Formats: sequence, structure tokens, C-alpha cells
Amino acid sequence: MITTAPAHLAPSARDRIRWAAQDTLTMLWRDMIRTARQPELLVFSVVMGVFFLVLFNYVFGGAIGSGAGVDYLQFLVPGVFVITALQGAQQTSMGFATDLSEGVTDRFRSLPMSQVAVIAGRTIADAARNLVGLVLVALLALVMGYRFDSAQGAIAAILLTTAVGFGFSWLGAAIAAKVRQPDMVGMLSMFWLFPLMLASTAFTPADSMPGWLQPFATYQPISVAADAVRGLCEGTPASTDIILAAGWTIGLLVVFVPLSVRLYRNGA
Amino acid sequence: MSDSNAMIVTNGLTKHFGDVVAAEDVTLSARRGEVLGLLGPNGAGKTTVVKMLTTLIPIDRGNATVAGFDVDRNPEQVRRLIGLAGQAAAVDEKLTARENLELFARLYKLPRQRRHARIDELVERFDMGTFADRAASTYSGGQRRRLDIAAALVADPLALFLDEPTTGLDPRSRAEVWNSVRELAAAGTAILLTTQYLDEADQLADQILVIDQGRTVAAGTPEQLKAEVGRDVLEIHVPDDTDLALAQNLLASVAGVLIDPDRRQVDLPITSGAAQSLDVLRQLDDTGVTIDDFQLRRPTLDDVFLALTGSPTTPTEEVRR
Ligand SMILES: Nc1ncnc2c1ncn2[C@@H]1O[C@H](COP(=O)(O)OP(=O)(O)OP(=O)(O)O)[C@@H](O)[C@H]1O
Ligand SMILES: [Mg+2]
Repeated sequence: MITTAPAHLAPSARDRIRWAAQDTLTMLWRDMIRTARQPELLVFSVVMGVFFLVLFNYVFGGAIGSGAGVDYLQFLVPGVFVITALQGAQQTSMGFATDLSEGVTDRFRSLPMSQVAVIAGRTIADAARNLVGLVLVALLALVMGYRFDSAQGAIAAILLTTAVGFGFSWLGAAIAAKVRQPDMVGMLSMFWLFPLMLASTAFTPADSMPGWLQPFATYQPISVAADAVRGLCEGTPASTDIILAAGWTIGLLVVFVPLSVRLYRNGA
Repeated sequence: MSDSNAMIVTNGLTKHFGDVVAAEDVTLSARRGEVLGLLGPNGAGKTTVVKMLTTLIPIDRGNATVAGFDVDRNPEQVRRLIGLAGQAAAVDEKLTARENLELFARLYKLPRQRRHARIDELVERFDMGTFADRAASTYSGGQRRRLDIAAALVADPLALFLDEPTTGLDPRSRAEVWNSVRELAAAGTAILLTTQYLDEADQLADQILVIDQGRTVAAGTPEQLKAEVGRDVLEIHVPDDTDLALAQNLLASVAGVLIDPDRRQVDLPITSGAAQSLDVLRQLDDTGVTIDDFQLRRPTLDDVFLALTGSPTTPTEEVRR
């Protein structure tokens, strides 16, 4: 029954990469089962987008729209996409904090597995859920009278939004790994979620904001993502916006992939 | 390691949490097929030792190896060889027992062909058939515990760590876990088991380490520990004072004999087991002493535990009372 110790040599770099991929797939399998068992999470992930879509369009739509001289729904929908992705990242944060409080992560840390896979499985599963949520929001927008310039544009917009959301998911995971208690994570999200969301061009153009806020509101990731997505939806993609949005996403990943893994491993 | 059979070895293992001395200079070893019982009251440092050995928390001082791999320097190799069932069950609450086992089997890189057979085997062994296909969040404490232990065994570990494995289990499940521990040890697994139950350590452990406030207070086989606390005592009851006087005359020369006239009881320390007891009883009988009742009393691990971790009365006093 007992065999000799399998490998006496440290794993090679190639082995590590293979295991990281294999473990990520395993964790993705696990997180997809969990996602499927908690359909309410999908509802939560779209509820804020739907809320903003309906509220801003029917309640504030007249006021904001007439002022800006554009059809407000056309302006609003790409912004709501990006907000939905941001909400998905907040769910990554909550979900990972719950994981960490459940104790199963203690077992993960004692297993011969790639530790980045624990977080990667979750962020990828959340990206998949986000994709479904975005399609639902797009369908609602269509029902409300929104028009995409083209199907390709719509697909590109949703994919770009998912990518930005994926970057933010790693930020959310890092916060969860640091803070650990789900309720604290929920409270903290107020501090990064709302400023990013409201001081952005997701709902209103930057030139309608006070001057001191405009530089932030123009270049912060949610704004450049909203602008880039808007271009894709309207059939007028702007390469600077897309490059900026991609740049922010890569920046988030470069910082928060290693940071979240480190914070996760160091916790007792 | 000079001893190639030594699986779990620590030397001067130390861990402080601020001012709290969770483990101080703990030295232990368990060989292949050996069960090492780690015994101690709440807060003694049992879980801390297990966590250091399973790479969950860093070691402050001292060193530890599992199958020759240094826990601090080669945590990845160590993780491939160990199984852990921690004090708190560590299973995925949203997954079923089968899915949990599949998850851990995959992460241990068990070949696909072996996974399903292994999962069925574990479900069978721990009698999880009736609940193996619903989510762990619906399990009773004992059911979750069984799944947790099964999860630790998925990859046939060389070294197994069980932190209070039977706490909260009913007698039948406890017996099941005991059987598994014995089987695994017989198959060559080295097992470090912490427990609050002295009978459990007595039943399962080949070696016992008693720790208190992070420090080792006693070590040895269960028999050695019991011997350290007190010798066996032959307790004899006689019907009347004449018998008592006769017995007293006969046994006067034996060191440490105690006569209690009120209870008409003789307590005799026994140094060489059953043969000596029989001998004494035979002599009394030959002399014409009527014996109502007798009992060979052994110190229990409870006596050991209480004596070593600071009980109000020492067991030796109790014997003499
Ligand atoms: N993370 C921590 N921070 C501070 N103190 C800790 C930490 N973990 C453990 N301790 C302390 O270290 C000591 C040993 O704890 P440990 O959990 O190892 O005890 P134990 O023997 O497993 O007890 P029990 O039988 O109650 O499980 C205790 O005093 C505990 O409060
Ligand atoms: Mg403990």
C-alpha cells in the first residue's frame, strides 16, 4: 500500500506551470459547481446594473439626457455594463472571504497544489458568471429600446467589459485575502466601489463634473473602460480608450495577482 | 536521517504567538507504522504543533522533517506526502462528499483511473453512502468529521496528522476511526494523533507525548507513563479482624503494604504483575485467611494526565488513601 516517496527532487519550472494549469482547471470545476448551486449570486451580480439601468433611465434620464443633448439610454447602457463587471469583482471579494472563513482553504494550503490556482479558479469562474450577467443586462437594454451598432460591436463590448471585471476581481481577491471576514469585506467595498463607480463617465460625461474632479473622472479605470465600451457599442471604437482600458486591466493583474497570492499564503 | 523509518521528526520545535508560548522545544518522532499520541489540555499547543508540521504556519525555532524532507525548506514535497484532518473540518460546504473527495483527489494528482475507485472505497469505509450525494452544508457534525478524515486519506499519505479526530463522534463512528487508524498504521503510515481522550491514546498510540503550555511534560509508551505514575496495587478485602491480623502478620515484611482496619482492606504494591499477585493470594489462602474480594488496580492514563498537568491530588496519594 505504501510506496516510496514519489519525487525526491524539487519540481522543475515546467512541472510547476503544468500543475498551476491543472490545478486552476480543477478549482474552476469546483467554483463552477458552486456557482451553479448558488443561482442567487447571478441575480445579485446583475441586480445593481438593472437597478441603475432602470432608475437612471426612467427617473433621471429626462433631466440628464436633455442637458447633454443625447439619447440618455444610448449613453447609459455601456456604463451599466462596466458597473456590472465591477459588481462582479465585489462578489469575488465576498466569495473569497467566505471561502477563507470556511476553513476549506486550510486544507488547500496543506495540499500539494499551486496556490495561485485557488484564486485563479475563482476569478475565472466569476468572469464566466459575469459574462452571463452582461448578456442578461444587454437583453434588458434591448427590450428598453437600446440599439447596438452591430452584433460584433456588442460582443467586443461585452468581452472587453469581462476582461476589465477580471482585473478588478483580483483586486477584490487581494482585499479578501487581507481582511478575511466577509462582513468587513462588504463594508470596505463602499470605499473603493462607489468612488470608482460614481466619479466616472459611466453615468455622466466628465465635462458635466466639477473641474477638480475631471482629471480623475476621465482617466480612472472605470471611466476609460466605459468610454472604450461605449465606442465599441456605437461602432466608433477609439483605440486610445481601448488601449487605456487594456492597460488598466493589465496593471491590475500585474499588481494584484502576486499580491493576492502573497496575502492569501501568509494568513494563518 | 539516521533512521530511515523515521517519518515524522521534530527537534526543539518552538512557536510563540506574542507572549503566548504555544510550543517550546518539542522533540518527537514517529516511525513508519507508528501512532504517536499528542496529549494535553486545552491550549497546550497540540494544534500548533500539527500546523507547523503540515506547513500551515511557519516554525519559529527548531526543525521538523517529514519523510526526510525539511518542513520549512521543502514544504511542497512535504505536502505531497501528508494527509491532514485538522481540528476544524476543512471541506467545501457547497460540494457533496463525493465531489469533495474528487476535488482533493485531483489536487493530489491522483491518476484519473484510480480516483473513482478510491472515492467509492472511502465512502464505503466511512459509511457515507446515505449522505455522500448531498451538499456538506447539510451534514451533521459527525458526518462532516468523517468526510474530513476521508479527505485526509485520499492519497494514501505516508504521514497522517489527525487533530482530535474523534471529538464529537458517536461511539460507532469513533470505533470506525479507530479501526482506520489501526489499519493505516498496520499498512505502514506514520500517524500523529492529538486527543483529549485518554482511552483513545491508550488504545491507539504506540508512543505518547504529554504537553502542557507548549512544553513536553512526559513521553513514553502508555505502559511506561502509567508505570511512572504508580505501580499496580493489589487491593484485598477480608471479612473480619482475625483475618486482617493474620494477613498483617504474613505480609508485614512486604515493602509499602498498607492496612486499613476500618475497611478491613489491605493494599499491596505489586512490582511483577499477575504472578506476584497470585502468589500473595495463594499464601493468604494457605494461611487460612478468608478473602471476600480482591482487585488488581492499575493506574490509568487519567492518573498520568492529571498528575502531569497539575491535578490537586496525585494518584500515588490516592492509592495510599
Ligand atoms: N494565531 C494565534 N495567535 C495567538 N495565539 C494563538 C494563536 N494560535 C494559537 N494560539 C495560542 O497558542 C496556545 C496553543 O494553542 P493550540 O491551538 O495549539 O492548543 P491546543 O492544544 O490545540 O488546544 P485545544 O485542545 O483547545 O485544541 C493557546 O494558548 C492559544 O491561545
Ligand atoms: Mg487544538
